[in-house]
Amino acid sequence: MNKAKYFAAETWASLRKNIILAVAAIAVVAVSLGILGLVVMGWNMFSNMIKNAERKVGEVDIYLSDLTSAEELQTIEAFLVSIPEVDAKSVYYKSKDEALAEFKERFKDQPELWEYIDENPLPNSYELMTKDPKDVGMVVGRIGNEAPYRERIEDIKSASSAIEKLENIFDKFRQIGIVAVISLAIIAILLVSVTIQVAIFARRREVGIMKLVGATNWFIRWPFILEGILEGLVGSFIAILVALSVKVWILDKLMENLHFLRLSLSSGLLLVLIPCILVGGVIIGALGSAYSLGRFLEV
Amino acid sequence: MIRMRRVTKVYKGNVYALEDITLDIEKGEFAFLVGPSGSGKTTFIKLLIKEEEPTSGQIYIADANINQLRKWKVPYLRRKIGCVFQDFKLLPHKTVFQNVAYAMEVTGKSHRLIEQQVPEVLKLVGLGHKLDAFPDELSGGEQQRVAIARAFINRPPILLADEPTGNVDPSLGAGIVRLLEKINSTGTTVIVATHDKAIVDNFRKRVIALENGRIIRDQDRGVYGYE
Repeated sequence: MNKAKYFAAETWASLRKNIILAVAAIAVVAVSLGILGLVVMGWNMFSNMIKNAERKVGEVDIYLSDLTSAEELQTIEAFLVSIPEVDAKSVYYKSKDEALAEFKERFKDQPELWEYIDENPLPNSYELMTKDPKDVGMVVGRIGNEAPYRERIEDIKSASSAIEKLENIFDKFRQIGIVAVISLAIIAILLVSVTIQVAIFARRREVGIMKLVGATNWFIRWPFILEGILEGLVGSFIAILVALSVKVWILDKLMENLHFLRLSLSSGLLLVLIPCILVGGVIIGALGSAYSLGRFLEV
Repeated sequence: MIRMRRVTKVYKGNVYALEDITLDIEKGEFAFLVGPSGSGKTTFIKLLIKEEEPTSGQIYIADANINQLRKWKVPYLRRKIGCVFQDFKLLPHKTVFQNVAYAMEVTGKSHRLIEQQVPEVLKLVGLGHKLDAFPDELSGGEQQRVAIARAFINRPPILLADEPTGNVDPSLGAGIVRLLEKINSTGTTVIVATHDKAIVDNFRKRVIALENGRIIRDQDRGVYGYE
């Protein structure tokens, strides 16, 4: 208890002495962790959006030649149902008549598109859903390579390519975010270490006397480590405030107004993100002070 | 208490600070370490508190070889050795009481013990009435007494003083050494490095004379001896 009080007093006194540097260090910690918060929230929102989109694009359409016999159809259907990644219940045979009816229904405002058609140009087809949207490519490949009566299959279509492009763009965004967070975190560590270096210099006389009278190395180090950790913690608190305000004032509004994009944050994300930011602040502070202690405090 | 066996300390550039020192200082002894500046007195003290490592040779304190002491154990060695320096090494923004209390705080002593022992020791050094004064309000002699109180507060078995009278008015120097003598009478081994001829000649203690890093004379009830 006595010790804890001593450490707290020493840390506070030292922090007050070089307040300007401490504020700078805290600010950079806050910015780096704040960006981390924003990137994580953005990433989460975007990947939720993609998941929603993918739910719709787990769909594969297999277009069949008109020459396909009923017997062949049965064999093909049995094969499709037997693929483990395919949701068997979703396998659906759509006749060319049904397809045309659907087409007419969809374009009923533009009758000129179908009014003059004599013969139904649409093929018979199978529609199916994969159990997991990410398996679409694999299922398409398997049907193309292994299906019986492949000569009867004229085309296989899936809608995953647009999503892939979107994912690529987002991956870039995420990579840039991660690089920004890491480089800012390194700058934050260096700035914390500078404040600790100044603190060590300001207290070199005390440190010398402490060593002289036999203070243990950890006893000498603790106030400096606490100072670094405190700077990291204050910075992470600010980062949390920034992240929460961005969520409340911007993201929530976006989700409300851009309803069609189905934007959402996973529930519980903040419960994970907030402790992570706090831990990040503590780590930045501790690394910063450890760096300076290692270099400038000969104990 | 202190045993040195063939201790040599060479600094960078082949500077021999101490060469082939072998000596014993018994528990409860009072010894002057004399010699002109540059003769190796300060190195001698730095080796004892493990601020420097000997280049060769063995140093034993209370029968423990301090060469083999782990780094993290060094602070515990230093708690057994009180140190007093020419420049006092007091903290200017702390009062006399706080300066002495500091040595107890940083070794984890309780508040109660500090409140009890610091005034006691300050009374012993003759500063019982100046607990709340700051160092710059004191004379050199008084500041050195504070430093001695701080060195003695944890009751170390050994007390080292490096030129303790160097920054003290000559008329007060003897008082400082008398105080060290008083501490010696409680059983503490005291070593005083000095080139203050008058003091060495007056007190007639064991004199270990160094010159160019070698012991040239070691004599009980000796005198300073240099001209």
